[in-house]
Amino acid sequence: MFSVKMKPAMSDRKAELERKKAKLQALREEKDRRKREKEMKDVEEAANRVESGSDKRDLDEMLRSLGVAPVPDVLSSLSTVNSLTPDQSINYTPDTSLQPNSLHNNVAQVKKKQPVLTVVPVQTTNIQPQEVVVYTRQTQTTASGHERDGIFGSSILSKCYMEDWWRPRKDEYNLNPGLEWEDEFTVLTYDDPQGEDEESSLPHLGGFGSKLPPGILPHGLPQVKEVQPAVTAVEQEQAKQEVKEVRELSEEEKQMIILSEDFQRFVDRAGRVMERALGETVDIYADYSGLGGDEGLDEKSHQRISFNRWFYDERWSKNRCVTSLDWSLQYPELLLSSYNNNDESPNDPDGVALIWNTKYKKTTPEYVFHCQSPVMNAKFARFHPNLVLGGTYSGQIVLWDNRVQKRTPIQRTPLSASAHTHPVYCMHVVGTQNAHNLISISTDGRLCSWSLEMLSQPQETMELQRSQSRSVAVTCLDFPHSDVNNFVVGSEEGAAFSACRHGAKVGVTDTYDGHQGPITGISVNAVQGGIDFSHMFLTSSIDWTIKLWSLKDTKPIYTFEDNGDYVLDVAWSPTHPALFAAVDGGGRLDLWNLNQDTEVPAAGLTVDGNPALNRVSWTPSGLHVTVGDNTGKIWVYDVAENFAHPRHDEWNKFLYTTQELRSNQVDEELEKLNLGISNTPLTSMSSISSSPLR
Amino acid sequence: MSNEIEETMKRIQSHKGVVGTIVVNSEGIPIKSTLDNTTTVQYSGLISSLADKARSVVRDLDPSNDLTFLRIRSKKHEIMVAPDKEFILIVIQNPTE
Repeated sequence: MFSVKMKPAMSDRKAELERKKAKLQALREEKDRRKREKEMKDVEEAANRVESGSDKRDLDEMLRSLGVAPVPDVLSSLSTVNSLTPDQSINYTPDTSLQPNSLHNNVAQVKKKQPVLTVVPVQTTNIQPQEVVVYTRQTQTTASGHERDGIFGSSILSKCYMEDWWRPRKDEYNLNPGLEWEDEFTVLTYDDPQGEDEESSLPHLGGFGSKLPPGILPHGLPQVKEVQPAVTAVEQEQAKQEVKEVRELSEEEKQMIILSEDFQRFVDRAGRVMERALGETVDIYADYSGLGGDEGLDEKSHQRISFNRWFYDERWSKNRCVTSLDWSLQYPELLLSSYNNNDESPNDPDGVALIWNTKYKKTTPEYVFHCQSPVMNAKFARFHPNLVLGGTYSGQIVLWDNRVQKRTPIQRTPLSASAHTHPVYCMHVVGTQNAHNLISISTDGRLCSWSLEMLSQPQETMELQRSQSRSVAVTCLDFPHSDVNNFVVGSEEGAAFSACRHGAKVGVTDTYDGHQGPITGISVNAVQGGIDFSHMFLTSSIDWTIKLWSLKDTKPIYTFEDNGDYVLDVAWSPTHPALFAAVDGGGRLDLWNLNQDTEVPAAGLTVDGNPALNRVSWTPSGLHVTVGDNTGKIWVYDVAENFAHPRHDEWNKFLYTTQELRSNQVDEELEKLNLGISNTPLTSMSSISSSPLR
Repeated sequence: MSNEIEETMKRIQSHKGVVGTIVVNSEGIPIKSTLDNTTTVQYSGLISSLADKARSVVRDLDPSNDLTFLRIRSKKHEIMVAPDKEFILIVIQNPTE
């Protein structure tokens, strides 16, 4: 209903008409918009596009403004037109009035046109949101110990990461094992360093989301982005596979490696070196300016014997009696000790031989050898630095080699009547480098001479018998220095014998009776230089005495009766002609210097705990004396140098001493004879109370 | 035979001041260790590359020479490295005061 008034009505009507048209248009637009939105989804996948002139151009302009190449991404005719109009109606409101016309025109045009279907190539683009800032200057930094070195899985925990969170990091946590180039890095904004769990970072193909460290929110905020040069997916996969494979191999083959020969040898060698290195705990930062300088203690010069160290192994020498001590010729710091069986652990091997190193502070043996029978005597094969010989209780002689990994003997002599059937207490290697033999004597008096190359059969055997078929039960043996033929033995009957291996009279030559109990130790004076005293030898016995003999006399020159217990071993010093050491069952170690005093030892001490000391031995330098006791401990004592070292006149003095001793001996015997017989006068050289009764 | 290895490793480990013992192969992969996994992996990677570098230094100075032992003394520990052709033994020790 229009109220009609000519002039104002016309304008009113026009305005109203326009308003209504606009309203209608708006309604229609809304309807179309909804329709369009529905169709938009379908249209996105449509292949046919129809370009429409100026509208398309505007769209292109819009798209261009976004930086995307103009794409003929045109919706289907109807929806395109529909979509254009709302957009443009939103953006270009002044044109709204024009739109219906064009819209109608277009629609009309489109409706008139038959849809011509043509195949048009389509390009799609994904417009990604604005990306995170990339600081390319970081790629100039050098890599530091990266995957390049082939060390996979090295994770460096650095809590200082948080300080520079904005810096793009090298792949420190190995989150992307596929990164092949040092320039590659992943940009993180949150650092939850849980990525060091390499085993869980399994390679994922595609889908960057799996590589996100936890804590990265995948929405809106800057995301992880890999900056990679052209690495194809295949290469990535291979690289990841390689990483995975190496690690798996090592886990599976670890046990294999551990059991391999190489590994064992390595551990043996490196372990030995490492133990020595561990033992040397010298503090190189010792500062003497601040400290008082406590070097003044232990004035060893006035103390003739002082304790140095002991050798003891919990595993191998505990509860075993030390049965022999020997020193290596080639390596004077190596000490060989052999042990009896351990009563308390019957499952352990009965016989043990250990090589100790006196040069280092290491408290464990260099080498451990064992065998099934208690080792009564062990010697270094003098001319073979790697071989160790042991004489056992069963009569077998065993050979160990420190070059092989085995701790058991590599060779054994046969247990047959051709060899020994009784315990072998005595062994000695005699001869020279090219012609040497092992001499072994068992307690049934049998002496066997062996060649070290062939231990299956002795080269020669001999029975030591005293006076017509009475075998000698030999307990100890000694050769004079560099003598291969003549030797002295001590026996269980309390007599010592001298014998020879070759020559006119093979076998026992002389008998030296005197002791009242089995002889435990025998030692021939072996000092080189000066006067030769190799005819002098000492014997120690269960009868609490030590006797000094000369090979030329069947009667002892002197008897040392200072001990209060079984004397279990005696040993001359290798450097001092008048010095010898003796040990007894009460834990006493005595050093006798015959030039100073023959009645009492010049120095002595009692070992801690009073163990029975079974063996005594001097180091080749003559400056240390070692004793082995019955609990398996070896004690090393330093001997004061002025005491151990002979002066020039020691030899002469000793000669004089021995002469004196001898004459005293003769005197005593003469006195005895005199008292006993009391009628036969005998002129004596220096008799004091002899009455010239002729 | 492996118990001898165990014995040796145990002896070293129980030595005074020893913090840890690691055996690494030539590629830097730990074979045996008394430390936790992370530390082991850390040490093996770092130490084996350092040992390789040290060895190359020694050999560059004199081609007939070779590295036998490497000792790194720091304020807190001493790291002792015994390298070999195929394996490396690493021991970390606290210096005794």
